[in-house]
Amino acid sequence: MQTVTPPSSPITASVPGLPLVEVRGLTLRYGAQVALECGDLTLLAGQFSAVIGPNGAGKSTLLRALVGLSVPDAGQIIFAPELGKPVNAVAYVPQQQTLDWAFPVTVWDTAMMGRTARLGWGRWPGRSDRAKVADALEQAGVYELRDRHIGALSGGQRQRVLLARMLARDARILLLDEPLTGVDAATQLRIMALLRSQADAGRAVVMVTHDLEAAAAACDHLVLVNRRIIAQGAPEQVYTPHNVEATFSSSHLGHTHAHA
Amino acid sequence: MTELLASLAEPLHYAFFVRALAGIALVSVLCAIVGSWVVLRGLAYIGDAMSHAVLPGIVGAFLLKGNLLLGAMLAAVLTALGIGAVGRRSGLKQDSTVSIVFVGMFALGLVMLSKAPTYTSDLANFLIGNPLAVTPADLWSTLIVTVLVGGVLAFIQKELLLVSFDPTEARSVGLPVTRLNNLLLILVGLVVVLTVQLVGTTLSVSLLITAAAGARLRSRSLRGMMLGAALIGTGCGLLGLYLSYFLDTAAGPTIVLVNTLGFLLMLPFRRKEG
Repeated sequence: MQTVTPPSSPITASVPGLPLVEVRGLTLRYGAQVALECGDLTLLAGQFSAVIGPNGAGKSTLLRALVGLSVPDAGQIIFAPELGKPVNAVAYVPQQQTLDWAFPVTVWDTAMMGRTARLGWGRWPGRSDRAKVADALEQAGVYELRDRHIGALSGGQRQRVLLARMLARDARILLLDEPLTGVDAATQLRIMALLRSQADAGRAVVMVTHDLEAAAAACDHLVLVNRRIIAQGAPEQVYTPHNVEATFSSSHLGHTHAHA
Repeated sequence: MTELLASLAEPLHYAFFVRALAGIALVSVLCAIVGSWVVLRGLAYIGDAMSHAVLPGIVGAFLLKGNLLLGAMLAAVLTALGIGAVGRRSGLKQDSTVSIVFVGMFALGLVMLSKAPTYTSDLANFLIGNPLAVTPADLWSTLIVTVLVGGVLAFIQKELLLVSFDPTEARSVGLPVTRLNNLLLILVGLVVVLTVQLVGTTLSVSLLITAAAGARLRSRSLRGMMLGAALIGTGCGLLGLYLSYFLDTAAGPTIVLVNTLGFLLMLPFRRKEG
């Protein structure tokens, strides 16, 4: 007689260490140029990862592929079946400066946009959506600003509004492009703490950043990228002078040559 | 005071004036809703192009004694399709293709009109419109279009908001961004057809844009912007219609002029923090 294993349910996906996304042999090109040629990458529930590399290393490309905005030229991205529709499983926070902050929406409206996909066509937000949005704004520390126009916010506050919108998505995989850029040190700490708590709640959190120092201190998993994955693993294994040089030096040389 | 009220009530004895008031109010509300999206999406030039491009449809219907609104709608749809087709074939940017198609359609309308026996007076009517010529049937079709367009926009409001504010996020949650944009263009075409009846092809973009742009200066939310635009548009429309009555000027252009002045007066009150 066999031992009975419990049936897989959405709850099993919150077990820390469970793979939520498997990336295999992913390659993306812009024209003839390879933007990213990455080996294998696994995103685990409960893991807070940082993707680090110089400008043009393919960090954003990797996120865009994960969220379905860029179609890979080769390779596969496989989502754990218990996640359901990838559209609802993945939440993506773009770089702040890509948005039009003069747009006539309040902080509340912006966070409510995170409910759009879950609500579906023709349905207006109900009580549970409002509760979700209020909770997301609380967690991001911008609930008091909910009636403000987004143009009236500081850089740090804007970033936290985008985080609130991400939380309102209610997704299992959180992808953030440069969430620490353009915000003050206190807000950086606050954002890191929020992302850590999201990982601890069983989500997979992936943040693109320039800040190797901060990432090494706060994240479980570092992915060093420069057109390909240079190294990945726990910070104490990956954050070595050799790896850092391999990640950043070639592009630095290229940069100097271009200006010489 | 009673004298003022009496003189304000005076034109209300004329059924055509009351119909003009009702028409202006309805179209102003419709333009507030659609115009807000047009302003936010930077589509004013499409509205302008559309208003000129419907001319052959209107003239064709006029010459064949058909329904002007239907003729205009047919021309609007053909224009939208034409812009898309020329864009795909030529690979040119949209502003060029829009200009080519809209000027071509406008010229076609003028050529068709030159075959009409009463060319000059008809031309003036199509170019600057006449709200005082609004018929009860026009009012009904305006009401139907207002309800239809308002309903569609309410149905897709949150999706359209996300597409407008953050198209990347909209794509990432699987919204049909291109189709939503095309739908918005069709709605703009419908509304422009109604404004053309009131103020003519050359001025119709004013009703669509000016009030919404004025409301944009102070609004913190989309709802506030639409509400503000409706108030501004209706207020300026009614004021303009009365002015044209007492000053004995052309009604359409007077309304547009009041709209423009209203916008200029609001300029200093722009909200500072963005």
